[in-house]
Amino acid sequence: MSDIAIQAHKLVKQFPARADSGNDKKSEGEATSAKKRSFWPFGKRAPKSMFTAVNGVDLEIRRGEIFGLLGPNGAGKSTTIRMLCTLLEPTSGTAKVNGFDVVTQANQVRRNLGTVLAGERSIYWKLSGRENLQYFAALYHIPPTVAKKRVEELIERMEIKDRANELVEKYSTGMRQRIAIAKALLARPPILLLDEPTLGLDPQAARNLRELIAQLKQEGHTILLTTHYMEEADQLSDRIGIIDTGKVIALDTPEGLKRRIDQKEVIRLELTGWHDDLNDKLKSITGIESLTSHQKGEADLWEVNLQAQNSRHALPRIVESLSGNGTRLVNMNIVKPSLEDVFIHLTGKALRD
Amino acid sequence: MRSEPIVSAPLGRSTSLNEMRALAAVIRREWTIFIRYPSWIISLLIWPIIFPMGYILTARALSGVDGSGLTQFQINTGLTEYVGYMAVGTMIWMWQNVVLWNVGGALRNEQMRGTLESNWLSPTWRFAYLLGASVPQLISMLVMLLVSGLEYAFLFGVKFQGSLPLTLLVILVSIPAVYGLGFAFASLVITMKEANAFVFLVRGIVMVFCGVTYPLAIQPQWMQNVAAWLPQTYIIHAVRSAALSTEGFQGIAHDLQMLVLFGAFWLALGMAVFAWMERRARQTGAIGQY
Repeated sequence: MSDIAIQAHKLVKQFPARADSGNDKKSEGEATSAKKRSFWPFGKRAPKSMFTAVNGVDLEIRRGEIFGLLGPNGAGKSTTIRMLCTLLEPTSGTAKVNGFDVVTQANQVRRNLGTVLAGERSIYWKLSGRENLQYFAALYHIPPTVAKKRVEELIERMEIKDRANELVEKYSTGMRQRIAIAKALLARPPILLLDEPTLGLDPQAARNLRELIAQLKQEGHTILLTTHYMEEADQLSDRIGIIDTGKVIALDTPEGLKRRIDQKEVIRLELTGWHDDLNDKLKSITGIESLTSHQKGEADLWEVNLQAQNSRHALPRIVESLSGNGTRLVNMNIVKPSLEDVFIHLTGKALRD
Repeated sequence: MRSEPIVSAPLGRSTSLNEMRALAAVIRREWTIFIRYPSWIISLLIWPIIFPMGYILTARALSGVDGSGLTQFQINTGLTEYVGYMAVGTMIWMWQNVVLWNVGGALRNEQMRGTLESNWLSPTWRFAYLLGASVPQLISMLVMLLVSGLEYAFLFGVKFQGSLPLTLLVILVSIPAVYGLGFAFASLVITMKEANAFVFLVRGIVMVFCGVTYPLAIQPQWMQNVAAWLPQTYIIHAVRSAALSTEGFQGIAHDLQMLVLFGAFWLALGMAVFAWMERRARQTGAIGQY
């Protein structure tokens, strides 16, 4: 058996897109002109173009590892995942899951892959937790006697035994997510694909789920994980692939990625009275390589992160730029680059952008 | 949380028996969800009696309360039982209408709920989802037809002089044509993302051309020519003949022949459109789009 659980080679996915569609798809990938149609009986139609969502992705995910796939919204992450789990056919290139081709051996791929896509929406709210698991066990062709035992095992494992007969609509988001994960584990697939598994969970439920994911790795599952929480990817992943504009732009261990910008410093500012002009003003300071900002929980309190080669040279000009116009510096730190900073350095965007 | 044995190989295996079990699970799921919405009582018991009432009362107004104007109706239809005539026409129309909404919208509803992808990610035969969703719908429609027959017999005194087995035979032979159209519909709705306009168009055509509330003989010839190409025309005629007249098998033999042909055509078309949709969805990602 090969050491590679998931393999993608020059994976490309293109979708037809209208040039005047008004959406921002073009910013996500490359749009190339295709067949043009100048006339349509019901009015003029814009020429068709091809939007490239995934542009030659190469991936090798090793057996037994947790692989984090990160990328800003629209980077091609979801399209890549959907091709790997057979929901989408690649335009070109190949992908194999547990040695099975995603196009020609789609059913074997489905059998070897447990997926959590769309989280709590992927199960039936008008069925109980137990009924959901029994239903999906049948869809995965698990013989009834085995399925019965397996459903009870998972109900116990997910700690929902007391409420297994209640309708899912009465569950909390965390419980629904656990049912969705139990569903993915039903057929005991060697590979798991978890798309944003902790999205919308409270901190305690998210911590429990991260523990479960770590446990699943210990049991021998290979896990492909996507998340918007950088700390989660850092904590769980053995390796991380960063995808942007349809390409894998970096792939390494979390430590390896962080080492890439070891020489750089991150200046973290907390301030009030942030306005858009400051964005350009701060970016124009010599030595500042990137800037991200987001509002913190409290009203009008903003966190601004600046990556710089040498903070000492940049600091006086930063403080100068912030004076006036109602802006007030509340706090300032020079911090060690985190995975989030690596991501910003590589993509120019924060993960949640 | 308790841990479990190290992963070896997946538990499931694809066999014909397991595919049948998967289909049975889809049917069970659909039926369980159906009865968990209490509105099913309205659709099974109350709606069948309310819906045809408008047409029946219009007919009563036109024929006169004492039925003096029914002679022409009898000449055109060979029947005196105009309440039963209206009830059969409108119930068959309602059957097709409900199939278009429920079977036609089955996959779309799953898609909007978010569960279509999780079904599609399993190794089960794709058509089982549509077929499985249709079975509870078919059972509920058969119950509805039966209930409405009883309601019309006991509340309105309609005399069903024909044969119950022959009526059931007609309904059985009609199933492939009615549901084949529903399957084709379901696949198109997944692609188009919208069912309303198509449902209104098809049920409008059935209402106008197929003789739901009036005999085909009063239509101009070109309309009768169109009606000859619609299976609902034969279903309505055959059910009326089997349930309301004493003509026996002879009265429905031609209709049954046509329904077998239409059934084979629509079922094949429904499955072909489904296969096309499935292939297209894999290329466009339509399954996950809301």
